[in-house]
Amino acid sequence: MSKEKLQTVVLSITILIVGFIVAEILTHTTTTTSKNLTEYEMLMGKNEPQAHVPSPTEVLSLAFEELSHPFYDNGPNDKGIGTQLFYSIFRVMAGYLLAVIIAIPFGFLIGMSPVFYHALQPYIQVLKPISPLAWMPLALFVIKDSILSSVFVIFICSIWPILINTAFGVMSVKKDWLNVSKTLEMGTFETAFKVILPAALPTIFTGLRISMGISWLVIVAAEMLVGGTGIGYYVWNEWNNLDLTSVVFSILMIGIVGMGLDVLISQSSKYFMYQE
Amino acid sequence: MKKFLEINKLAKRYPVKGQKDKSITIFENVTFSMQKGEFVCIIGHSGCGKSTILNNLAGLDLPSSGNIIMNNKNVKKPSLDRGVIFQNHSLLPWLSVLKNIKMAIACKFKELDKNAIEKRALHFLEMVELTDAINKLPHELSGGMKQRVGIARAFALSPQLLLMDEPFGALDALTRGKIQDKLVEICDRTQQTIFMITHDIDEAILLADRILLMSNGPEARVVESVKINIPKPRYRAEIVNHPNYYLIRNYLVDFLVNKSSKIAEGIQNKSIDDSEMPHIVSFPNVKPPEQKISI
Repeated sequence: MSKEKLQTVVLSITILIVGFIVAEILTHTTTTTSKNLTEYEMLMGKNEPQAHVPSPTEVLSLAFEELSHPFYDNGPNDKGIGTQLFYSIFRVMAGYLLAVIIAIPFGFLIGMSPVFYHALQPYIQVLKPISPLAWMPLALFVIKDSILSSVFVIFICSIWPILINTAFGVMSVKKDWLNVSKTLEMGTFETAFKVILPAALPTIFTGLRISMGISWLVIVAAEMLVGGTGIGYYVWNEWNNLDLTSVVFSILMIGIVGMGLDVLISQSSKYFMYQE
Repeated sequence: MKKFLEINKLAKRYPVKGQKDKSITIFENVTFSMQKGEFVCIIGHSGCGKSTILNNLAGLDLPSSGNIIMNNKNVKKPSLDRGVIFQNHSLLPWLSVLKNIKMAIACKFKELDKNAIEKRALHFLEMVELTDAINKLPHELSGGMKQRVGIARAFALSPQLLLMDEPFGALDALTRGKIQDKLVEICDRTQQTIFMITHDIDEAILLADRILLMSNGPEARVVESVKINIPKPRYRAEIVNHPNYYLIRNYLVDFLVNKSSKIAEGIQNKSIDDSEMPHIVSFPNVKPPEQKISI
């Protein structure tokens, strides 16, 4: 291991340990014994465990417990973290893939045809800044299904980055490469698949990565709204239960899964990168 | 004898921004022809429209007026009959050397199967001595190697006319010399018809049967057509000993340094008649000396 790498690892671990200790100190609670309480105080529940921000050790022990059987199902209010994450990931994937299927061909069209570009530009500019959750009431009314509505919300939020990046990637294909395809008498479709697509893929993947990030942000909020299942619902449900340890644990899980999804896209993009 | 390629009164004009009926003329009245198997170089200062003429020949860009006729057919769009070697090699960076060439071959020879395509690609990579690098990506190659791949790709298509836009302009002098020798050898073997843009007078004398000289732009013309009567194949080491070499070289340098700007002035104020251009310039056939001149 090089010196720099070693320093990186040591620093990283130090931050973890210091953070752990600081959090442990900040969340420390003194357990009051029933000895010093008056009868009135005891009647008011002062000797019951108080809700407090959980310490890292509490979160860790809960994490260990939850992750050792992640897929249990004790009815609608008590499902394992794995089950909840599975629902969320499924919805994200469904909405996201739908967006990919529609946005990439449309991005090609916009990128290759100046007419389409200028005609669709105003609509894209208006639709893009709309918060995806603003679509939720309309989606619920039209679709009449909460799960499909959250899939739709994911679809509508992930379509724009993919569309815009695809169009941009297609538009910025080097003229020299297009000249090569022209001198080789390639048709429009052959040029699109053999020259423009591989040339634009790195830019398209940037859009795919941004969209995946946004989808994972939005699904939590969407599930808090529609409820039922999913990691967003889980967080809100544990808040209603005042189980803050579970809340912190699920926050961590959202982060870890989000990172996993990002790595998935960035790793697969490596196969399509090229260097000039 | 019917001419293989004819260029008649070619002109390119661009509209001036803001002034609707005004236009700027890059070149005009460009008329010349080429025989099958001929190697023609075109030399001129930057801005005279050499690259535009080449793009017109390739069909990548259309002239404002005039026409180009190859094999009795009007050139209107790009075709596999006219190969182009671009200055910046234009290899597709995500494909390996071999795949770049195989893709081009597959476009032209649609009847060939996979093995035949690979065989042809390897044959032309061997010709430019790149068999060791076939699985490398373009960015892993040096500038000279990339340009050799470009040459292999162009020759693998056996186009009727090969257009080269300053193919060695971006290379260092040593590498350029090596590739020029390679090109001399390949041209000698294939008798490929080539039209080439260059800034390098020595390169033009080494390779060309004929050199077209352009006056300065705007309103550039192809003023002269200089025959290079030094027997081919020529080699860099020997060509300097030919008595015509310095005659031609000095003539070309004089044209580019002194005459091209004066002619441009004359054309702009209409004191020079361009109807007979290009004038044919030829040097007396001098036999090469028996012994080499020792220095």
